Amino acid sequence: MYLGERLPKPFARNSEGRSSVPTPEENALLGWPAMSETTPDTEARRLATEARDRVRFEEDALALADQVYRVARHLVGSREEAEDLMQEAYARAFRSWRSFRPGTNLRAWLLRILTNLNIDRGRRLQRTPGLEPLEEGDYFLYNRLEESSPDAPDEERVVERLSQDSVVSALSAVPHDFRDVVVLVDIGDFSYADAAQILDIPIGTVMSRLHRGRRVLKQQLAQEAVGAA
Amino acid sequence: MTSFADDPCAKCEELLQPFLDRELNDAERVEAEAHLSLCSYCRKRYRFEEHLRRFVRQAVVEEMAPELKARLAALRTPLF
Repeated sequence: MYLGERLPKPFARNSEGRSSVPTPEENALLGWPAMSETTPDTEARRLATEARDRVRFEEDALALADQVYRVARHLVGSREEAEDLMQEAYARAFRSWRSFRPGTNLRAWLLRILTNLNIDRGRRLQRTPGLEPLEEGDYFLYNRLEESSPDAPDEERVVERLSQDSVVSALSAVPHDFRDVVVLVDIGDFSYADAAQILDIPIGTVMSRLHRGRRVLKQQLAQEAVGAA
Repeated sequence: MTSFADDPCAKCEELLQPFLDRELNDAERVEAEAHLSLCSYCRKRYRFEEHLRRFVRQAVVEEMAPELKARLAALRTPLF
């Protein structure tokens, strides 16, 4: 789309190629007060640049929507909630696009808005009760799956014992605080540092929640797969 | 904290998560790799964890509805 066509043209030039708006020199001759540094022409250019930057921002943000949604979908309990949250987050992002610093991680910026909105909704109040990770090592899911099958399979076949549905339900059983971090790092592929920024928590907290969250996830998976926990 | 000298497999288990997250420093990574090259017990469990993560990531993918995409696009600021 050619932006110029859709922008207002307040400073159209006349047939002699002269602006219909007086130049600063003409203003001085006419004895009019000089306008500050912003002449109408530079103002028009500024507006055009801003419109172009905004359009680019909006296009970049929309291009990331699929990836943002994949994460958002598992930060909340249902598809409907995820869709509402996406719309709220995008509306806010489009309104406050000027506060995004170009060259930084736009996907993380969008998810920061989205998680803040999610927290504002009071979702934190409805915490999943009770699920604390087992004080067992990180190898325990593998050990359980291996124990429960008679002919000691290789690592890949062990994973195949889990079903897609069991993973989805196991993930949704992880308490919110742990799950947010697991979803950002394991599904969103964010670094610890990005996850810390998105959730506005220290990096050490990201690491401990991730650790505990993954353990709860494995605990759930073990339960689904072999009924052991 | 366990050390590789005391209990190498326990130490390796401790490093499993940051290792796969690529968040270990060079010295720790080299130590873990050295142990993994010798120990099939840990190697199997590291591989399992890698497969598990990939499986989890793929299993939970739910694509966005096309209508939602259209609704998001409609939120853009009109040009004038």
